[in-house]
Amino acid sequence: MTGPVDLDALGPSGPYRTRQRLTVTELGGAPVAELSLVPRLFVQRTMAAQHDAPAMPADERARALRRAGELFATADVGGMRVEDYQHTVSRVSGMPISVVRAATRRIEESAAEAYRATQYARPTGAVNDWRDPLTRSGRAVWTRRGDVFAVHAAGNHPGVHTLWLEALALGYRVAVRPSRREPFTPHRLITALREAGFAGDQVTLLPTDYSVADDVIRNADLAMVYGGEEVVAKYGGHDTVLPQGPGRSKILLTGDDWESHVDAVVDSVSAHGGTACVNTTAVFVEGDPAPVAEAVAERLSAIPTLPPQHDEAVLPAQSASGARDIEKYLLDHAAGAKALLGGEGVADDLGDGSAVLRPAVFLVDRADAPQTGIEMSFPCVWFAPWSRADGIGPLRNSLVLTAVTEDGDLIDRLMEEPTISNVYLGDVPTYWMASWVPHDRYLAEFLMRTKGVVRA
Amino acid sequence: MSSHADPVLDDPPDEVPDAREFIEAAMRWHFDPDTGSPYWLKRARTLGFDPRRDVHTLDDLRMFPNVANELRDVRVEDLIPRGYGPEPCVVGVYESGGTTGPPKRVVLLADWLDRVTRRAMRDMDERSYPRGVNWLFVGPSGPHIFGELVARQALARGGVRFSIDLDPRWVKKCIAEGRLDEAERYAEHLIDQATFPLETQDAGVLITTPPLLERLARRNRLVDLVNEKISVIVWGGAHMDPDTRHLLRTEVFPKVRLYGMYGSTMILSGLAERAGLTEDDPCVFDAFSPYVSLRVVDPDTGEDVPYGERGQVVMNHVSKGMLLPNNLERDLATRIEGPPGQLGDSVADVGPLRTFENEQVIEGVY
Repeated sequence: MTGPVDLDALGPSGPYRTRQRLTVTELGGAPVAELSLVPRLFVQRTMAAQHDAPAMPADERARALRRAGELFATADVGGMRVEDYQHTVSRVSGMPISVVRAATRRIEESAAEAYRATQYARPTGAVNDWRDPLTRSGRAVWTRRGDVFAVHAAGNHPGVHTLWLEALALGYRVAVRPSRREPFTPHRLITALREAGFAGDQVTLLPTDYSVADDVIRNADLAMVYGGEEVVAKYGGHDTVLPQGPGRSKILLTGDDWESHVDAVVDSVSAHGGTACVNTTAVFVEGDPAPVAEAVAERLSAIPTLPPQHDEAVLPAQSASGARDIEKYLLDHAAGAKALLGGEGVADDLGDGSAVLRPAVFLVDRADAPQTGIEMSFPCVWFAPWSRADGIGPLRNSLVLTAVTEDGDLIDRLMEEPTISNVYLGDVPTYWMASWVPHDRYLAEFLMRTKGVVRA
Repeated sequence: MSSHADPVLDDPPDEVPDAREFIEAAMRWHFDPDTGSPYWLKRARTLGFDPRRDVHTLDDLRMFPNVANELRDVRVEDLIPRGYGPEPCVVGVYESGGTTGPPKRVVLLADWLDRVTRRAMRDMDERSYPRGVNWLFVGPSGPHIFGELVARQALARGGVRFSIDLDPRWVKKCIAEGRLDEAERYAEHLIDQATFPLETQDAGVLITTPPLLERLARRNRLVDLVNEKISVIVWGGAHMDPDTRHLLRTEVFPKVRLYGMYGSTMILSGLAERAGLTEDDPCVFDAFSPYVSLRVVDPDTGEDVPYGERGQVVMNHVSKGMLLPNNLERDLATRIEGPPGQLGDSVADVGPLRTFENEQVIEGVY
């Protein structure tokens, strides 16, 4: 391996290398890249140029997106082969390489489907273009709420970079502030978008330090911000900022036949290395949760500890010290819960400065135990008893709720509950996704508005 | 009462006194019961050493504790050396920004103002600042010395100072309380006001803080006006990172010369960016030797870092009117070798002590 690569900012007139750089390291500490951190003034000027830039025609956007997805997933982009990209992401983020490979394919598909995906969100009464003959007698035209869209991306999973492609498809000029933990995916994706035909002012990469982060949002018309509770608290009241907060996805199992759902539970907990917002955080079982939890714990315990770049790796890794911090946090918060797996610790040292996070399974004794909301970035699940008397209270605040139930009244209530974003019925893992099904509402609901148009 | 000052303390501004001779004379002056200030004479009792006997060099100034915090409470009368007699020529009392707690106060005496103004004139000549033009100052005046020095220098340079006042304490308070919208609104208000003199008056020098300069740079109309009218921009009062400096020089204000000023209330002056730096040089500030001297130290050990390394800045002010040695500033800088004969270090790329990063978030997937 050669020395660290230069990961430049991607400004309106091309790559931009700054004097202030952040060394991105592998989990073991070895430097991998020197990430250019741009100052506030560069953010201002870049985003001003993006405001001034005209949008590309929709057809060209869709074509360039498709092409960019192909490049991203198959070509040398910025001199980096896709295999090297995947290996690097795995080594810096600790994500199992099979997950990175799957995410690569999903980014390719999302790019190809981005325009189509936006159209599912268009109100049936609205047309895309004022030239549509329907506007002659009065019609809604679907229009952007602004011109420039900013993203504070997360580094937990490359898949977070599928969503903002829809903004690009809709004609937004997009500025991405990458996670400093994993800037490789957006750097590669934006480089590919540029190679595929997007001009420099259409989509930019603006790595910044913490003090400049808010400027990326302030200089945009609309923004999407990934983060925890604090992000939701900070931006929840702003109608121009869409927080992507905790997932806290859950499963509800009712009835007697829990055995046939163990696979779905195990998958929901451990797919994607357990790092995604759609991984299951808690499982609520009508009746006694212990047998289900034990079965799941047994299955999860069989997953081997492997370094993340191993083809068979399933579990995520962290720096050894980071893993110990996570372990301590978990055990500190597990008081009152019964550990079926991971009670003695979850950090499994690989001896190279990194450690794999092994699965954890806990039992709590009531549906409203506070632990059921503790979402960790590895396979960690809380099992709780649930009865009809508990109602849907414990199921609130879920990105995805998989409900195995035949109770139509209960399903009605889940559908009506505003803090549950997706309801999957039956034996469906919580990570199930399709481009035509919203993830947390359609992004386009936030990006677009209708405008009344009539032509006399 | 007559002053017993050693003539070396009153050297003409264009003469650089010998450092040892100067420091020894200053110790005699500040710690002689007849000439020292009530504050220092009282403070001397708990120093544990005798400055008149023990302090001869820059290194010896490290024996002093950092007393800057005591300047929050001391009566300003007690800060004036008795040697100035019963009617000292006081220009004014100035206060620090108040970042942490109540402000620290210093007294500006006429002889120091004269010295520092002459020094500034010399610096400006070396950097070919225009004469006979007006200055536009957008920055802290009020209780802060920055605005006062700028006003004096504009007059000494043959112009007048147009002034837009910035209250840094209000900005800091807004930010500390999370009222970013208020801070934003206030800053925009300042830029709005700066527009008027820029549009209607002749001004050839613009002096402001880096954040305000960045903000001004957002407005194309103002950028055009500055490029058209202003020949020198001086920034000070806050840090400017090297990337911003590069962008300002090359892209935003290519027609204007940009100079930094590294100042502090606690040294009663500002240090000008070294003349003749090229595009690739870091932004270097030389000391005002021997009156204002700098060291760059390891924050943990207090020892000097090697040249070229980053460390925390220690400022010493030693003059007839004030003694404030060994003041650890909340700045990091690269230690640079000073020009020949300079007491102490020069510094480059001055930046904030810490950027607080909340990197380690454990709960949640993001």
